[in-house]
Amino acid sequence: MEARVLLVEDDERIRQALGLALADEGCEVVEAASGEEALEQLGSTTVDVVLLDLMLPGVDGLTVCRTLRSHGDLPIIIITARSDTADVISGLEAGADDYVTKPLVASELAARIRALLRRRRFGSEGSGGPRLRLGEVEIRPDDGVVCRDDNEVDLTRTEFRLLVELAVADGRVVTREELLQRVWGYDYFGDTRLLDVHIRRLRRKIEANPNEPALVLTVRGVGYKVGKKA
Amino acid sequence: MLRLSLRWRVAVAFGLSSLVVSSLFAVATWHLASSYMLRQREQSVTAQAAANVRLVEGTLRVGSEGLTELLTGLAGEPRSTILFHREENWITSGRQVDPAVLPAQLLTPAREGTPARQRLVVGNVPVLAVALPVAAEDGIYVQLSPLVELDRSFRFLSRLLIAGTALSALVGVALGWRTSRRALRPLTALTAAAARVAQGDLQARLPEQSDPDLAPLAVTFNATASALEQRVRRDARFAGDVSHELRSPLTTMVNASEVLQRRRGELSATARKAADLLAYEVQRFRHMVVDLLEISRLDQDVDDQALEAVNLGELVRNVAASRPGDVPIDVEQPPPLVLADRRRLDRVVANLLDNAERHGGGPVRIAVSRRNGCVRLEVDDAGPGVPVQLRERVFERFARGARAGHRSDDDGSGLGLAVVAQHVSAHGGAVWVQDRPSAGARFVVELPELPR
Repeated sequence: MEARVLLVEDDERIRQALGLALADEGCEVVEAASGEEALEQLGSTTVDVVLLDLMLPGVDGLTVCRTLRSHGDLPIIIITARSDTADVISGLEAGADDYVTKPLVASELAARIRALLRRRRFGSEGSGGPRLRLGEVEIRPDDGVVCRDDNEVDLTRTEFRLLVELAVADGRVVTREELLQRVWGYDYFGDTRLLDVHIRRLRRKIEANPNEPALVLTVRGVGYKVGKKA
Repeated sequence: MLRLSLRWRVAVAFGLSSLVVSSLFAVATWHLASSYMLRQREQSVTAQAAANVRLVEGTLRVGSEGLTELLTGLAGEPRSTILFHREENWITSGRQVDPAVLPAQLLTPAREGTPARQRLVVGNVPVLAVALPVAAEDGIYVQLSPLVELDRSFRFLSRLLIAGTALSALVGVALGWRTSRRALRPLTALTAAAARVAQGDLQARLPEQSDPDLAPLAVTFNATASALEQRVRRDARFAGDVSHELRSPLTTMVNASEVLQRRRGELSATARKAADLLAYEVQRFRHMVVDLLEISRLDQDVDDQALEAVNLGELVRNVAASRPGDVPIDVEQPPPLVLADRRRLDRVVANLLDNAERHGGGPVRIAVSRRNGCVRLEVDDAGPGVPVQLRERVFERFARGARAGHRSDDDGSGLGLAVVAQHVSAHGGAVWVQDRPSAGARFVVELPELPR
């Protein structure tokens, strides 16, 4: 894996140890000790993925996350110290693609980075492939574009893959586990908050009324499906 | 020796007191009533006998012809007997009685001119015998009046009194039982509250008591419970805080150790050995901290936001699929749902499988079924089982080593089953271990079923 990773972490020893271990996993690590430094670094260099500790002095992790998200869909994995629901959810709501909890291990982290980078927006055949339609929403999987009433909707690559997986199932139920495995791509264990928050974010972007979804429907106790007659 | 409960003792005391009082009254009533009735009967019999004697004397004065008829007429009362002694002869009328049965104490005073009276039993009939001298012809008039009626009245009265006494004793017991129950009701509430505390509900309190005898008890109990609750919370927070503070150094250690492990080949034999030891213990330490955080997080309350309808069968399949090995899984159809925090249930299932792996040689069967409104999860292993005396202890924190057959290279945290127990109880369920019908242990989790 030749991934350039920006590691934003204020604890110097963690930064060093994680930097060494990630380098062993094949990552090229750029380090930042604060939010300000991270934003500065990103102004001058490009990376494939950002590892972002939420507890930072000064500009905190959530702010950094929102700022990055407002500029594009650079993949973000947040590092939380607390695995409380609230902490994780606010990080995901701020736009992160995935999260890990301390104490985290470089090998597991690398697996997630790899999965995230595999989550490609564009199909390999280039443009002009089949298009999917959900009500007034049009999906062009091969261009990585989603339009709503002919206006392009900004989706992160995670949200995009999620929508494509559901749309391809064509109204059949896709279980949470299947979605986690197909979209996030690593052996799911533990937690579906990740999925729930992403579904929520997706609905906010494509549904006419996110509180009464018509496109992405919840199937209680099982998973999600797209509304046929949306 | 049989120890009666407080409530029974109060009831018995009530019963005994009421028995004593009512029997005193009964005895007094018996004496008064029976002696009064007897006296009445005696007086009337004596008066009648005296009148009869006067009639007899009158008849004798006129001549003795009508005497037999007169005596027959006088003995009109059924079962009464009249005997008349004249010229060494007894004339008997009414019920026939042998004059020989009459005692001398009765006849001698009459013969000497003094009336006599005595209670006798003649031919199985209780009678009142009255003997009167008859002045003319130096005779003795003896009248035997049956006391059968009176006896029957006495028997009825005595039965009535005994029954009344017994009844009042029973009423006393019932009253005592009721009273003591009312008096002990606060104690019942105390027992219930103490039981709730013992089961881990540290917020159980007694209602305030207005009774001055009970108020201090309630106040003391509540103060004790509050102190206990605070202390438990403080301890839990402390464990949580410590674990939290350990996260950062642990992250450094885990990753530094990974770097060392990757370079094992470059190390000298001694350094390699040391690096291996370090890696192993750091891994174990990490499990422990993660589990401690899991437990201390649960000491705070479960947040309702995380609760959702979960298909337990599907969840079990997913957890099992993420692990090596192939365990048969039976799920009752249609698969039951539970209202749960999916992440915590994942932990429960994974920890039970870990436990089977560590102590039972691996799970051999997993089953999800319904039972009385509950969803039941069973994880079976074919290991040595859990001895009865350890079946509660295995769910305690750091109960490791308590079980026979545990491995010395066990890298568990000692918290796995404690996490299971806490998560299950936070979902309003129960977990226990029993024998598997063929051999080995069966861990059972029951959670309330969510209707579809």
